[in-house]
This record gives sequence, structure tokens and C-alpha cells, in this order.
Amino acid sequence: MSELESVINLCLMVQSGKIEPFDIDFDYVMSVIKKNYPNLKNVQEFCLDAQALKELSNVLERQNQWIEHQSTTLYKDPFMLSQSLMGMDIGAIANAFLRSWHPLMEMEQISTKTLAGSLSYWGGLIPFDERWQDCLVEERETEYASMDEAIELGFIPGEGFTEVVENFWKELGERVGPGGIIEYWEWIGEETYEATVYRAYLTVFMVGYGYANAHWDRLMEENKIIHNVEPRPDPGQQKVSIPTMVDYEEWKQWQND
Amino acid sequence: MAKRLTKTEQVYQRKLKDAVHLLFFTHHRLPGVRGWELRKELGADWQNIIEVLDKQLQPLDLKVTRVLEEPDIVEPTNAQLQEARYYIIMRGTVDQKTAKTIGWRIDDIAGLAVSVAYIISKQGKVPRQDVERILEEKLPGWRVKLNIDRYVRQGYLGEDDSGILYLDWRARAEIDTKKLVDLVVSFGKKAA
Repeated sequence: MSELESVINLCLMVQSGKIEPFDIDFDYVMSVIKKNYPNLKNVQEFCLDAQALKELSNVLERQNQWIEHQSTTLYKDPFMLSQSLMGMDIGAIANAFLRSWHPLMEMEQISTKTLAGSLSYWGGLIPFDERWQDCLVEERETEYASMDEAIELGFIPGEGFTEVVENFWKELGERVGPGGIIEYWEWIGEETYEATVYRAYLTVFMVGYGYANAHWDRLMEENKIIHNVEPRPDPGQQKVSIPTMVDYEEWKQWQND
Repeated sequence: MAKRLTKTEQVYQRKLKDAVHLLFFTHHRLPGVRGWELRKELGADWQNIIEVLDKQLQPLDLKVTRVLEEPDIVEPTNAQLQEARYYIIMRGTVDQKTAKTIGWRIDDIAGLAVSVAYIISKQGKVPRQDVERILEEKLPGWRVKLNIDRYVRQGYLGEDDSGILYLDWRARAEIDTKKLVDLVVSFGKKAA
């Protein structure tokens, strides 16, 4: 640890009460700071120097407080006080305390209105048996589900994912015409955020599968979707997905625009 | 025939009752009430009402006391008075028999007295292990730790993150620290 760090730690010990403020030799500590000053090279060392000076000034403040405290009527020599405490038996210490202790009044009271309100709350409170009923796990026998039942329950989509993307591509074609271009947010934007995210999700696959192209101009902040006339132009090519962000704040801004 | 109160006297009586409700009953997590709360409920004249209440409580051996945010302030400003907390405390003191019925063992009282006196002698801040060391000279170690935790929980002592103890709000409200220190030092002189 450097000398400046030692100085700082020493001063911090005064602040925390571990050593007395007058136990520090101020002249010696200042000489250490002055000695180190010409050797300071970088910003960190200058900061250490500044902190050492700051902590030393706090020690001076503590020394001042100590003198002020001594001059008040509350001050008694700490050594004498400690010796007196050690010389007293427990009964005498307790007696001294009781003669200077004025206990606080703290009363608590429930009013009729509060009681009436709590009775009304109690009346409306559902018993535990009824409250926990919905959470009870019941044992059920396993069964087979048909395809229609699985579609009805939403576990399997009614149409294949490829069909979903193709229908989305057709919608794009109808909206902008063959090979047409549309601004990205105009294409995916919907009344609700959830619907917007769904359209962005489908757009990602539509572009990745080759049904459309995306043009991102970060400089001009223009994002466009371009309809491909030929659906799935390269059937043999590996499909890719392009990550894209649909920010809630951005959606709010689009709605307001 | 009973004397009829004037309208002003009726208003003042009502405000005194409001002051009693605010000061006697706990409204928050801690007892007492802030100056600004008294001002809000009692009006601009709240300090006079508190003084009148204090006089009325004197025959009952109670008094209204004030604890400022900063203990070193000698002449508080209006803003500092509004931030201060006001409590009702006993004007006199309790004897050992009454203290026992309140739930204080003599060891606990002595431990608190030594802790408070030692913290005062060290200008208000002392590492916790120093206080534990002093108390362990006369009390069992396990009891010392329990008691210090109790004093901190009840608000007599405060403890910061680095394990330094200081006098907290309840000690400043309830304990006449000058009298305590005088009694301890004068005991030492008598013994000598």
C-alpha cells in the first residue's frame, strides 16, 4: 500500500471513531503528502493526493469538534468516566440510569370504526378451504386426443407454418402490388402491440424464406419490405431467419404518428 | 352554573385534544410526531398549543419533549423545528421496582447505562466491539450481544454498516445524558 493510501486509511479510522482525532500528528502527515506530491505521475495518483488532503481536513474538523465538546458542560474526561463506570457495581449503574431516564409514552388503541371495518373484511374473506380449492391437483386418467381436438385446443396450428407464411406473402402482394415496396412499420403495425409483434415475426420468416426482401438503411433510418414476385425463388437453398427488434416504445411512437 | 366557553376557547380546546391524540398515540412505525404534522393539524399556532399542553401535563408528571434531527443544534430554525420529532415522556423518573414491572432486568438497565455513557465519553461514536468488551467485564458474553441487539432494535442505540454504535432517537428522547454522566462521575468521586 502506498504512503498516501496509508494516510487515507489513518484518517478514515478517525472518522469511524477507532482512534482519537488528536492521536494523528498533523505535521507529519502533511509532510508525507508534500513529499509525495512531486512524484505524482497519472490521474489516479493525483486523485489519491486530493483524497488524502480531503480526509486530513476532515480530521481537523473532528479535532475542532472535540475541542467544542470539551468546552460544553456535557464533557467529562473519558478516562475518568470509564474508571467510574468500572468502579460501580451493577446496582449503582442501574440506579444512576434510572435517575436520568424519562420513558416515552406510546399508546396504541383500536377504535370502534376500525373494529367494524375489520369485521366487514372478515365477513367478505373466503375460507381457506374454498380459496385453495382451485389449486388442488387432481389425478386424471390419460387419454388420446384426435387431430381436431389438438387443433381446437391450440396445440397444433390449423394450417402448416409454410402456408401461414405464404398467405402472408399473398397479403403483401395484394397490398403493394407485384414487386412493390412498403415501409416496414406500415407493414407490421397493428392496433395492438401483440399483433404487431406477430406480424414482425412472420415478416422475419417471409424474408428468410425468400418470399420478400428487406432493405435497412441505418443512415437514413429507412426500413422497407420488398415483395418478391416469385415465391420461394430458390427451393433448394437453406432457409435463414433474420433477428429483428420490435420495440414497445417504437410501436407507441408509430401509433401516435 | 358552568361557565360557557367562547368560540375561541372552544377552538383552542379542540386543538389541545387533537395535540393529545397526535402525541399520545402511535400513528407510524415509531412513536412521536414530526413538527410539520403538528403544524398541519393544529395550524400556524402549533408551537403555542404544544407549550400549553406541556403546562397542562405537568401535574400528571408528563412533559412534551423535542428531538432535533441534528443533536448539536443549539438554536433551531423554524424549518428544523418542523423536521424535529415530538414525544410525550415522563417528567420524573422511575424506581427499580417500576422498571422491573415495565420489563427491564437490572442487568439490562446497567448494560444500557454503560453503553450510553461510554458512547458519550467517546464523542458519540464507538466501534461495537469496544462496547462489547466493556460490558463483558461484568456481564456474560452471550447476554452482552443479545442486549446490544435489543438496544439497537428498540432505538436506544444505532449501528451503521461498519459496526459503529451511536445514540439513536430513543436515547436522545428519554435519557438526560448530562445527568447520567454527572451521576456516574460523582459516584467515582464519592468512592475515592
